[in-house]
Parts: sequence; C-alpha cells; structure tokens
Amino acid sequence: MTHAPFPVARLRIRTIMAVALLPVALVALVLLRTRSAAAFGEEGAFHPRALIVGGLTGPAYSTASARWSFELMQRTSAPARTRPSAVRADDPALVQEPFVWLSGRQALQPFTAQEIASLRRFFGLGGILLVDDAGVSDNGNPSPFGRSAREQIARVLPDTMPIALSSDHVLFRTFYIVRRPQGRVEGPASLDAIVRGGAIQVLFTSHDLGGALAHGATGSWEQWVTPGGEAQREYAIRLAVNIAMYTLCSNYKDDQVHAPTLMRRRAATLKP
Amino acid sequence: MMRIPSFGARESQLAVNADLPVFATTATLVLAAVSLIVLIGIELRRRSRGSTTVAITGTFAVLALVIAVLRPVRITARHSSIGPKVLVLADTSRSMNLPSDESARGASTATSTQRRDVRERVLEQLRSQNAHDARFEVFGFGEGPAKRRASVTQAPEPHTPLRSDGESTASDTDIGNRSDLSTALASIHESSEEHPQAIIVVSDGRLDSPDETASSEQLAALGARLRAPIHTIATTSRAPDDASIRQISFAGSAVAHVPFPLKIVVGCTGSVACDSVSVTARELREEGGSVELATGTAHPVDGTATLDLSVTLDRAGARIVEIAMQTPAGDSLPDNNRRWLVVNVARERIRLLHVAGRPTSDVRALRRWLKRDASVDVVAFFILRSRTSASNASVDDLALIPFPVDELFTDHLPSFDAVVLHDFDAHSNGLEKHLRNLSRYVRAGGGLIMVGGPHAFASGGYASSPLADVLPISFESARETPESDTAPFVPAWTPQGRLAPLVAPLRAIVGDQLPVMPGANVIGDVKPGNLALWSHPTRRTSSGAAMPVLALGDQGNGRAIALAVDGTWRLEFSELGAQTSARGFSALWDGLLGWLMRDPRFEPASLELTRPCSARVPNGIKVHSTNAIQGSTSGRQTLEIEALGDQTSSKRVLRFELPPEPHNSPPSVTIALPGLEPGGYAARLVSSAGTTTRLHFACELGGDEWADPRPDVARLRRLAEATGGTFHLASDASLAPPLPEPTVVSTERHVAPIAPPWLWTTVATLLLGVHWVTRRRAGLA
Repeated sequence: MTHAPFPVARLRIRTIMAVALLPVALVALVLLRTRSAAAFGEEGAFHPRALIVGGLTGPAYSTASARWSFELMQRTSAPARTRPSAVRADDPALVQEPFVWLSGRQALQPFTAQEIASLRRFFGLGGILLVDDAGVSDNGNPSPFGRSAREQIARVLPDTMPIALSSDHVLFRTFYIVRRPQGRVEGPASLDAIVRGGAIQVLFTSHDLGGALAHGATGSWEQWVTPGGEAQREYAIRLAVNIAMYTLCSNYKDDQVHAPTLMRRRAATLKP
Repeated sequence: MMRIPSFGARESQLAVNADLPVFATTATLVLAAVSLIVLIGIELRRRSRGSTTVAITGTFAVLALVIAVLRPVRITARHSSIGPKVLVLADTSRSMNLPSDESARGASTATSTQRRDVRERVLEQLRSQNAHDARFEVFGFGEGPAKRRASVTQAPEPHTPLRSDGESTASDTDIGNRSDLSTALASIHESSEEHPQAIIVVSDGRLDSPDETASSEQLAALGARLRAPIHTIATTSRAPDDASIRQISFAGSAVAHVPFPLKIVVGCTGSVACDSVSVTARELREEGGSVELATGTAHPVDGTATLDLSVTLDRAGARIVEIAMQTPAGDSLPDNNRRWLVVNVARERIRLLHVAGRPTSDVRALRRWLKRDASVDVVAFFILRSRTSASNASVDDLALIPFPVDELFTDHLPSFDAVVLHDFDAHSNGLEKHLRNLSRYVRAGGGLIMVGGPHAFASGGYASSPLADVLPISFESARETPESDTAPFVPAWTPQGRLAPLVAPLRAIVGDQLPVMPGANVIGDVKPGNLALWSHPTRRTSSGAAMPVLALGDQGNGRAIALAVDGTWRLEFSELGAQTSARGFSALWDGLLGWLMRDPRFEPASLELTRPCSARVPNGIKVHSTNAIQGSTSGRQTLEIEALGDQTSSKRVLRFELPPEPHNSPPSVTIALPGLEPGGYAARLVSSAGTTTRLHFACELGGDEWADPRPDVARLRRLAEATGGTFHLASDASLAPPLPEPTVVSTERHVAPIAPPWLWTTVATLLLGVHWVTRRRAGLA
C-alpha cells in the first residue's frame, strides 16, 4: 500500500484552509455591507437614485450613479451614497429622498396612474427629477427616450411647461462656474427645466450626462466624449457636481453675499 | 356727604282760599273798590242827614261781602335751609408728593412738607370756614374719572392694601401718573348725581389737561358744562431749585438694529447751576449690567435745552432704557434726574445666520423653509469644500468665496437675532476662537440653535468650549463615551414635550409619530432649568436618565436649542411627510424659531402688571398660564423679580411660589408685589418643568409728574377767571370762595280757614241788611 504523494497532502491542506477561511470571508462581507449601509450623517447625503418607470428596467448606465457620488465626494465637502440604489416610480420609497434621475434610450411606455400619482406626491414634497437623454445623437437630436420622457412628464405636471434656463441661473454656479452644459455630447447650449416657485422640479438634459460619468469596474471610462474629449468630460462632471449641489443647497449661491465675487469671476471668464 | 339741613322757626300768614281762581279774586277786589269809591263819594257829596251812617254801613257790608267771597285762611309753615353743593377736586397726582413752598429749597422729599400736606390743610380750612353751610363733597383727580374720597377730614393712610385680585380700593392714596382735570370734570358732568353749584380745585397747577396752551374759551367751557364757577386754590407757588429731565420722546416705533432718535428735554429752575449737563442713555439688561447706548451734553438756555441722542437696540421685545442726567450743584430734587423707559422694540425681520459644515438634505430642508418665510432675513454660509477636497479647478472656475468666520462672529454677530450652527465643526472652520464671544452673545439676548450631525456637539469640539455654558445640555465626561450613536431610532416625546406650546402645532399634525432618525449625537443630561422635548428611547446618560435629543432653555437674556439629530428633514421626505404634505417640518421649525424669538404664541404663560408701576407703591403681577403648565405633572411655578442693570441698590431678587392650581381652575393668578425702588426690573416665571416667561418693566418715583416740578399758579388763576370763580393761594388767610345762598325749603305746611264759610256769608248778609235799613231811613233806595 502506498501513501498519498505530497501534492495530494497539499490539496487537503488547501481545502481545509478554504473551508476555514470561508466563514471569515463571509463575516467580512457582512461587516462591509454593514459599514456601507446608511449611518449617522449619511442619511442626508446626496443619493442619485435611478428612477424605474415607463417600462424601464434600469438606468442607461449602471455605473454612472456611483461615479457621480464618487466625484462629488472627491471634489466637495458634500457626502454622497457610495452605493446608490434604484427606485420604482410607484414605490412608496420614492418619497424617502429628494432626488431621482431618469435616463434611457428607448421610448418610454405611458406612465400608469399610480406612477403619475406617486411622482406628483414626490414633486409636492419638493423633490427634483433629472431626465437625462442617454440616446441623444452626437449633434444633439433627442432620442425616442428624450421625446417620450417630455410627453410623460407633461402628464405628471400638466400645468407647467419646460423653460430654458438662462446662463446666469444659479444651477450654473452652485459649485463650479459652468458656462454651458455638456455631457457625453456637446448638445444644446442650454438646459430646459420645469420651475415652480423659483425652484427646479424637473431638469432635462440632452447631453447624456450619464454617458460622461459611466466608469467601468476596470477603472476606465465607458464612453467616449465628443467632440471635446476628456476636457469636455471634465466639464460634464462639473455640471453633475453642480446639479448635486443644487439638490443639497438649493439656491444658496443666489444669496447677495456671493454676488460681488461671482460677478467678478464671471466677468473674468468672459474676457476674450 | 349730605349735610343735614337746619330747621327754621314756624311762620304764619294769611291767604285767600286756594279754590278761588285768580281772576275771581281780582274781579271781587276791583268790584269792591269801585263800590266803595262810588258809595263813599256819592254819600259824602250829598251831605245829607244819615249819609255818614250809610257810607259806614255800606263799607262794612262791602268788606264783609268781599271776605265772604275770598274766605281767608291761615297758613302755618316750617322752613329749612339747604346749603349749596360744592364739589372739591383735590389733586392726587404724584406731583403732590413734591416739596411744598415751605420746603422748596434745601430739603429732600423724604423729610420735607409735601404739597399733599398743604392740600390736606386746605381741605380742613375749607371745612372750618364754611359760612354758607355748604355741602362739601371731596373727590380726588389724577388719571381717569374723579374718585370720591371718604370725607373732607379723613386723614389718608400711607398705603392702601391690595385686594386679592391685585386691584386697589379707590382712596386718597391713589397716586396718579397724570393730572387730568378735564376728564375728572367730564365724569362729574356725566354723573347722575346732583350737579354742584360751585367747584373748588385744590392743586399745584401742573395739569396735563387742560394743558398750558388751553385758551380762555376752552377753560370757560370746562365750567360752562356744569354751569358752575370753578374756584382754584394753589397749594404751591414757588418752584424748587431743580434740574430735571422734563420730557423724553421718539417718533415712530423702535425697530431692532435700526437707530432711532431720542429727543430729551432738560430743564432747570431756581438757582441751580445749569450751563452744561451731560445726559446718558443706557440699556439695562438681565446679565451684563447695563450697556451705554449714547451720551450727550445739553446746554440749557433760559432754563431748558433739547438734546437728540441716536440709540440702537439690538433685541426685540420690551427693553428698559435708563436716561440719566448729571446732577448739578444745588439740585434739591435729584430723584427726577433719572427716567426709565420701556421701549417696545419691534422686529422688522428676524435676521438669522445659518452656517452649515457641509451640504446635506437636512441643510437643504432648513434653508428652503427659511427662504420661504418673508419675515426671516437669512445670511447663510455653507462649507462646500474641505481641506482634502480635490476640486480640479482654478479659483476662477469655482463659485466659492472664503468663509468670513472672523467678521461674522465679531463685528457682525450682534446684528443677528439668532445663529444656527448646522453640523458645524468649530475647530476645522476657525470658529473655536470665537466661541466665548458667541457665548456672550447668547447671554446678552441672542438665540442659538445647534443642529446635530457627525461634526456637531462633542464631535465638533464644543464639549469643553465656552459655548457649552450656554447649551441647554451637558456633555458626557467619560472618555469611553462615543460622540455619536449611529443606530436608527424614533425619538420619544417627553411629558414636557407633549405639553410645550412650541411643538403643539407639530403634534397637531403628526400626533405622537416622529420619523426614524439615522442616529444621534451623544450628549448628556438636560441642565437644571432647561427642558427636554424629545428623548432617545433606549440610550441613557451617565446619570441614568433618557438621553435628550431636543432640549432648550433660557440662557441669561437669550435662549438656546440643542437638536442632536440631522434628520428633521424626514418630516418632509418620508412616508409620514407624504401623509402630512410635509407640514410637520414647517410646524417644528416655526415653533423652534418662534420660541427662540419669544413669540407669544409659544410662551408657556404671560405676565402683566395690574397697573403701571409707581416706585414704593404696592402693585401686582397677573400670571396667566397656558394649559401646558396647568396640566403638567410638575406644575410648580416660581415668580422671580430681579433688578436690572447696575443700580444703587444691590441686585435684588424676590421669589414667590405660586400655589399649585387644580386642573380646570381659572388660569390666572395675581401675585401681590411690595413697593419697589425706582429702576428697571425683570419678572420671570419659572416652572419646575423648565419653561420660563419674562416681563420687563420700570418703576419710577415721580414719572412724568415729577419731570417738571414747577407749580403753575398762572394756569389756576386763568381757569378761575375764565369760569367766573376766584383764585387763592393756600397761604391766604381766608380760602372761602363766594358761594350761592342756601336754598330755603318748606318742610311742614298747614292750611286752616279762619272761619267757616257760612259764618262769613251770615255776617255779610247781616251787614248788607243793616246797610239797607240805614239807606231806607235816609230816604234812599
């Protein structure tokens, strides 16, 4: 009778170690999950929840929200959810946070009555919705998603029409001074919004902001940005940061105390 | 008091019977006269025998006939004489406490003869010199209608005890703050009692109405309405050597943080050296003594000078301002050199500083609520970038400005009504060095709200800081105590929270429900005298008590709130928020900010003096409690009275324990106060539940009545002349004015016929018969 050779003994040791380490790994995973759950000081953080509505099954870019939170925390003092979630429009959890964003490429199905009622409740509390057209063409033409989103939002808020935000709207200076909106594509020179009581309720971008933010697990950006390349991506990120800051600070930068400084800086940036 | 009239002697007189009309009496007498003339004339001209007899018998017959027609009666009557009603109006204003002529120079008010003593002597003299049996009724006048005095000769008591409801009985000791003769006379006119036939005014002449500009016609009208002359007697004719603050006024209303002008009139009389007098305005505060607001120098010309001082009061509500002038040499009446004003300072808008350590949904919710309220002027600074932030942009591409921490918390701090430190780290944001100043700001009257988060309370470096002194909570001292508890929880309402008026609107919306909070800052017990509205359901402080989550309390002149969570935004964004249309958040913060600003809606009680305070005169404070105090399980209340500012007397604190009131009993109780020395005071109602309400008031010795101590003899003289009366000085030998004669009134009357009618008829018939016989004998028809 021969004994098992040395490689066989090594295999048993490895098995034993794997079995022993497994519970440790499981515990570590649990702890990690616990730490990443919302805790004191995180509940009020910026949370770019993806809105699931109109037949959508998920956001256009699954990594864009997390990257958005990452950029916000890197660049500012604002806290953000590192693992943003998604929420259905007809879910009561919609009213748990003040911000959601909707992105897609395909045409939306008509919103159900429950979705409309729920979204109206959300807006009534002061919620903000970003509608980001991920299917916009390189020359800025809206996709079926972009067109249908406006139609469906009009059913939710029938007594208001989107207006073009002027270049001196506070959205463009909540953190960065943004001269024009840009995303994955250069798109139109302005943003449209539904404004009520001086506050933005719905913001429409035809620039595919999510496309500029989408960041793969490999550490590289998922989408090219045209025509400006990485410089344009930087400006897109700045716009995203500004949107987040608007969500958290409202029209803080409209206060008179900021006016002299901002006017000087805007004048400096406008000089040829 | 009605004087019993004297009874006169019995009188008798003859008269005709009352059933005879006047024309019949007249006709009878005329016919009788004609008959006699004809009879006597014809017969005497005839000169025949028997004509004399005929004339005589005819005369008797005519007279008998007349008497038979007139049927005379005898009237017996008793008469009484009622003296004229004379109303004496005695000045009972505070100016009568000033020195009289005997003491006008050189004596203090405490030891000198006062004008009121002269007044009493005058009243006694009037009584003794009453030659016309006049019915004197003595009334006092000062503020409001004339008030009856017990009698002319009753000596006034030094103090009238208050009734249990705090009101005093009308007596001579009512020391009026005004000398309003016009209102007193009007009340006499409107009275249903017998109107006087003469009025005597005993006063020093320093009247508020009629004032010194009243014309002769206006003065005459005062007596014309009552159809009686007004006689005046001046108790004083010489002005004392005195310098005083004659008048203080300001136009419009006082608004917090806005300078307003105070116009001060200074006057000097007698031999007081008064070329240059300095005047200072100070605000008296509960803590920190007094603060000088403005100072100036007056240069009286011809005895008066007007000085304008510009003052700014930073805190809204009732503020006590002391105006004091330097006492010049020779001033015999220094008590009127200081005046105290209660200035009700309005607030145009609440000016609030909101600083946040980082932007969050909680910060957003509060900002949106503040900006929606037009009555709030918000100055906000949010720290948008930390030292470790990598913004990847030049300064020109950033819409950021430096945080002006030094300017905000030094020069500009007093301009704010309240400061909100929202999850704000003191150390990393440069606030540490200003915390002592911020603590002083709160004690001086400012409001402070510390809102929780990972960088608030102990985490923010406040535990051992000067600011900890003005927070309503303590900090746990144990080193192993964590600075925050990250477990989600739902705050519990404390018993005081269920009853506190400031959260009543929130409870009306959410009831007992509150949203889940994502953790809390770990803090210690509520300090004594402060109040916890919410507590942690499971966490305990080191003393074993439930850890407070929302606590508040008075800190000196100001107030502070500790809110150890950053989750009140959940009153908007949550299922509860959706059910209540987010109204809970507005209700909570409206109550918190309103309480901080002493909005009467959120005070647990109200305090009110039963009447304006006169120094050294007993008074009362009415305490009206809300049901929140009444129904509290620990409803003990204490009323504290404290002198404000630096005053000559030591800081005096009086304490009164209010009796516990049974449930459903009337919510008001009046506490009797002893006489207080001149100055400003704070009355504080403190309940064992930690709530407080306060009232600021001032007590003056002489007030406006002592502002100008000069008697006004000329005005009294003009009043008498205009109304047909006479004027006397108190020093005159005779004070008796000319009065109407007493009215004679018959009190007893008997009418009896002298003889029965048949007798008069029989006699007339007989005499007629005798005359006929005589005429027949004389050959006449």
